Amino acid sequence: MNITALASTAQQTRTIERPRLLARVMAWELRRFLASRLFWFQALGLFGFLLLMTWALHAPDQMSAGVSVNGGGGGEPLTGFIAGTSAGGLLHTLPTVLVVLVLLLPFITADGVTRDLNRRTHELLMTTALPTWVYVWGRYLAGLVMSLGLALLLLLSTLGMGWLLHFTVADYPAPEISTVLLLWVGIVLSATVLVSGFGFALSTLLPRLSTLVKTVIMVAWLVGGLVVPLGLGGTAPATWYVNWDPTSGVTALGLLPAYSMSLNPSITTEAQFQQFILSIENKMPPLAGWFAPHLLLGGASLLLVLLASLAFKRSHKTLG
Amino acid sequence: MELTIEHLSKRYGRDLAVRDLSLRIAPGLLGLVGPNGAGKTSLMRMIATLLESTEGTIRWNGQDIRTHGQSLRQVLGYLPQDFGIYPEFTGRQFLRYLAAMKGLPSELLNRRVDEVLEIVNLGQEADRKLPTYSGGMKQRIGIAQALLNDPELLIVDEPTAGLDPAERVRFRTLLASQTRDRIIILSTHIISDVEAVANRLVILREGRVLSDTTPEALLARTAGSVWSVTVDQATAMQLQERSQVSTMVNQMNGISLRLVSSTRPHEAAVVVDPTLEEAYLLATSRQDIRV
Repeated sequence: MNITALASTAQQTRTIERPRLLARVMAWELRRFLASRLFWFQALGLFGFLLLMTWALHAPDQMSAGVSVNGGGGGEPLTGFIAGTSAGGLLHTLPTVLVVLVLLLPFITADGVTRDLNRRTHELLMTTALPTWVYVWGRYLAGLVMSLGLALLLLLSTLGMGWLLHFTVADYPAPEISTVLLLWVGIVLSATVLVSGFGFALSTLLPRLSTLVKTVIMVAWLVGGLVVPLGLGGTAPATWYVNWDPTSGVTALGLLPAYSMSLNPSITTEAQFQQFILSIENKMPPLAGWFAPHLLLGGASLLLVLLASLAFKRSHKTLG
Repeated sequence: MELTIEHLSKRYGRDLAVRDLSLRIAPGLLGLVGPNGAGKTSLMRMIATLLESTEGTIRWNGQDIRTHGQSLRQVLGYLPQDFGIYPEFTGRQFLRYLAAMKGLPSELLNRRVDEVLEIVNLGQEADRKLPTYSGGMKQRIGIAQALLNDPELLIVDEPTAGLDPAERVRFRTLLASQTRDRIIILSTHIISDVEAVANRLVILREGRVLSDTTPEALLARTAGSVWSVTVDQATAMQLQERSQVSTMVNQMNGISLRLVSSTRPHEAAVVVDPTLEEAYLLATSRQDIRV
């Protein structure tokens, strides 16, 4: 070991660079994420799986109608489909695809602070002059950025596969970017912010229960996003539930009646039938009622993170 | 530069880990020794602002660290007994990361990381992933991170546990080279670790200061209380029951013992020069030593 006297950087190295600390904590946390091969495998696997799901669900609702020829019977039945990447199709598929994303999100965000406790890097960080709020918010924001990156992969997979299907499948419409974006913001983005904030805040407040927190989030989302909508069957959900359902499973059920079709008798060919479906399925969904509450839910999770950052204690009563 | 501890106590449920402990610590290397459960780690973690005290105060340059913890942390370097790493990082990335967390100015960060890597002699291995490091290398990375902000107060908790003898000697020498213009508190239960480097020795037992002295003073006080004798097996067993044995070696002519005792333990026993370890054994076997 080489015993070298310290260079005279003493006063300088004790100077804390405060204004950019939050950005530095975020940047380094992101760098740590990106240095992990596992993260890249997870992201790549998720993107591939989302592409596969979008392809598998590209015609979530097959439609058929018997038509009369010249007012009489004997016409061929017409068949058509709702495109999975249209507005109407996304209301069918997006809550299901979102479940896959949400099952992954707690693993990205919930352990932002508890990972340090589990790895025993906590003490190294808590004995630095890093302000507590910077540490907590830096960890949260880094996790949020990673989560938003995964949510962006969902958007890319929808648009990418939508365009691929448009060029390869007959009568498959190109995705309407504005409609897809709108549904992505209202359903996926709000859910991503909500789950990230909720998982992070609860795990930070209850570090010993972080596995339970993750499990509860995943189970609750599976129930809310898949089981409850299936359980409702044909019954109309309550309006408040449609508006405030964070999983959007019931929200989508509540919005789908806007896409119901009554067949125009002048339609006699499959091309006309598909054109008719197209005019309905790509309608912008009604925003009133559900859109703002979904964004509010996401915003409320930020308040939870604020609470966690205020309640976080860098010193403890026990050796732990 | 002064660390003042006044009437400090730490209670876990019904157990008192630290009892009404008072110390004034000036620059230099203070060796904190004591048996397991003596309260060393609790004391060090309270100083490092990681653990709340039950009673009493710790002041850094006159300021209570409960209210001015940030000003202490700005000049604190801390190496815990057992610390984790980020397996995704190389040694250099790990230090850069912690330097950023310590708020080192960007323009200084890389230079300072290179400096501490040179100090702990890890420049060649700095770009290897941390999980490939040996125990000794990991400890050196630990001390490197503690030195990043050129701390005025350096706290190292059992730094040589798990190191081979050569690494231990290197580590001690490294610490000794860092004593100028700073307070170093070295906690250990390996007495030879502090023997060579500490200019002050605090022995803790059951949360209390049993002895606050220097290695030289402790040795001087122990003079005449360490004995050497070679006896047969049966006598050796009897002596072991009556006195504190510091070494016991089987030899051709019997069993050679070194005993710590204030009275002659055997008629054939002769007084020998004590080691610091023997002085420590004598001190911890007495009830009320305070220099």
